[in-house]
Amino acid sequence: MKLEVRDIKKSFGEKEVLHGISFSVSSGTALGLLGRNGAGKTTTIRILMNVFQANSGSITVDGKKFRQGEYQIGYLPEERGMYPKKKVGEQLIYMGMLRGLSKSQARKNTKKWLKRLEVAEYENKQLDTLSKGNQQKIQLAQTLVCDPEIVILDEPFSGLDPVNSQILKDVIQEVIGQGKLVIFSSHQMSYVEEFCENIVILKSGEVVLDGNLKEIKREFGKNRLMVQALSLTPQELAFLMGDAFSDILTVERVQKDRLIIRENREGAKAEILKRLLEYEVDLEYFGLFEPSLNDIFVEKAGDGQ
Amino acid sequence: MKQFLTVLQFELNNYFKNKSFVLTTVIFAVILAAAVAVPPLIPGLLDKGEQTESQKEAGAEEDTVSIYQEAEIFQSPQQAEQLLGYPCIFEEAEDTLKEDVKSGKVKAGFLLKKDGHYTYVVLNNSMYDSLQTRFEEALKMQMENLYLEGKGMSETEITEFQSILPTGDTQILGKDSAGNYAYTYVLIFAMYLLILFYGQMIATAITTEKSNRTIEILVTSVNSNNLIFGKVVAGALAGMIQMGIFIGVTFGAYAVFRDAWGGILDFLLYIPAPVLGAYIVFGMLGYLLYAMAFGMLGALVSKTEDISKSSSTLIFLYVVSFLVAVYALNDADGILAKITSYIPFLSHNAMFIRIAMGSVQWWEIGISAALLAVSCVVAGILAAKIFRMGTLMYGNPIKLGKAIKMAGRKAS
Repeated sequence: MKLEVRDIKKSFGEKEVLHGISFSVSSGTALGLLGRNGAGKTTTIRILMNVFQANSGSITVDGKKFRQGEYQIGYLPEERGMYPKKKVGEQLIYMGMLRGLSKSQARKNTKKWLKRLEVAEYENKQLDTLSKGNQQKIQLAQTLVCDPEIVILDEPFSGLDPVNSQILKDVIQEVIGQGKLVIFSSHQMSYVEEFCENIVILKSGEVVLDGNLKEIKREFGKNRLMVQALSLTPQELAFLMGDAFSDILTVERVQKDRLIIRENREGAKAEILKRLLEYEVDLEYFGLFEPSLNDIFVEKAGDGQ
Repeated sequence: MKQFLTVLQFELNNYFKNKSFVLTTVIFAVILAAAVAVPPLIPGLLDKGEQTESQKEAGAEEDTVSIYQEAEIFQSPQQAEQLLGYPCIFEEAEDTLKEDVKSGKVKAGFLLKKDGHYTYVVLNNSMYDSLQTRFEEALKMQMENLYLEGKGMSETEITEFQSILPTGDTQILGKDSAGNYAYTYVLIFAMYLLILFYGQMIATAITTEKSNRTIEILVTSVNSNNLIFGKVVAGALAGMIQMGIFIGVTFGAYAVFRDAWGGILDFLLYIPAPVLGAYIVFGMLGYLLYAMAFGMLGALVSKTEDISKSSSTLIFLYVVSFLVAVYALNDADGILAKITSYIPFLSHNAMFIRIAMGSVQWWEIGISAALLAVSCVVAGILAAKIFRMGTLMYGNPIKLGKAIKMAGRKAS
């Protein structure tokens, strides 16, 4: 199954908040939908869930118009919400039945997911008596109770401690492994790096970067070098190289413990190293820069762009 | 349909598992059953005639009326008692009369002048005091007697003259409006309470789902028509079931104890089947219409504390409907009852009153019921659209007019 979003635009009143969003995602993979607050992630997800309708653009599955009612979709909204005064088991069964499961199947799935998420003992407890972390797990159980083909998770890790985060990570990995199509929105880049084969970065309602995460990283690191010295701080290194090496490199970023530079021409790496040695810089590290998703996100979604 | 039934079942369970709902139902049912069943079990409580006689013997003075007259208009206390219907005593002075009234020795007193002018002396005047009117009638009769005697008529002739009275019966070919008044009023008042109480509950149930953010999961899992119809019909059913239990318990208890009551509550509890049928049909449709409207209002706000502000217009509309009904109770065939019996939001009361107390054709009932049923469906669909549209609109309550416009725009 391949879900494709093409040129989605959405306005609220006079204000256009999505200016033509496009991306695609296939079964068995997870797409990381990233962006700063207000970038348009939740609006995009709500359009996918038919909470809103787009003003223009299309959403298709395997080339056919995406009709939400034809698929089992598990949705974990950003604004968490279930019945605080109802018993956990009762409302999970209800949610399963609303999505077309028989009562017995909904009950079976409820037990399965509560057990998997290690909250089986709360089945007969009122939701508001549970800790925030456990309520979060119940929300995920709600998302998965219908055995969805498409799973949309909006900030699933918010409010979870490291132990519960690990349980959730394992479950999400399993879901992807089962061939589900997963769309995953989060500010926590380390999780996105773990799960997502592809990413889309939104900025002010526009896609500023999308594609395969490995390729993006490779491309992002191309012609970029990382330098660390024992005797010089990154600032001192930047001062030296920015002045004396400006014909062959550009200083891109000065970080706390390292300097990121870009070669100005192919093959400049050897020349840069040669000059550094001539200046008797005692290098701790000199090599290709491998950016983290966080580096890419800060560069693409940050104010600098 | 499956989704609708799932929502309906879940929401009904919410009501039936709600402790306050169950307690209210049980407590009121017990109170109603007791109110009907206990009085007949208390010896002598319903035996009003005998009680009055014994009371008369025990506390005769409390019902006695004293009279002070300047001239001999009433010839004896016995004659005055015969005309007035109360034991009478003659006082010798005005002050004595006032003292007796003040001390409670007598019920009240009359100071009677020569020319027939009188002063009514009473300790506390009551709104329902008929003694003065009765005294006026007795005095008028006695003065007429004195006048006729003065004209030379004998006592026998005067008695014969006064016994000339027209006699007559009433044959009701249509409905006994006077007899039907009590239960019609009670049923309309019961509907008033039902709609206002459950209407608010339905609106609250919907707003709560917005305020606790469950709504986003719900509207992405289930068709909003099924959702709103399921929720509203569940609220309506819960109210009807509760009302049905109250009515059933009261009628059941009265059926058992009717003989002990001597049938004196028939005017209230003996409701002809066609009238009850009309109440069920029109009451149910009217209730559903208001329930849908309350559901719609619930979707317009995101905080439960805003519901009362948002629903004030609808409550005002229902109060108007109730006032129209109260007026129509006194004029079931009047133009107001006729016109309002075709206006949804008003017709459920007006047409019921016309059926219970007035003259109405079958086709009129059919048109009114059809209009009401169509209004329910339209209100339901509109409520579902507004509910869907208002799902993620948080903050200040949305104005109903704006919401209808937005829903219309979206539909087109």
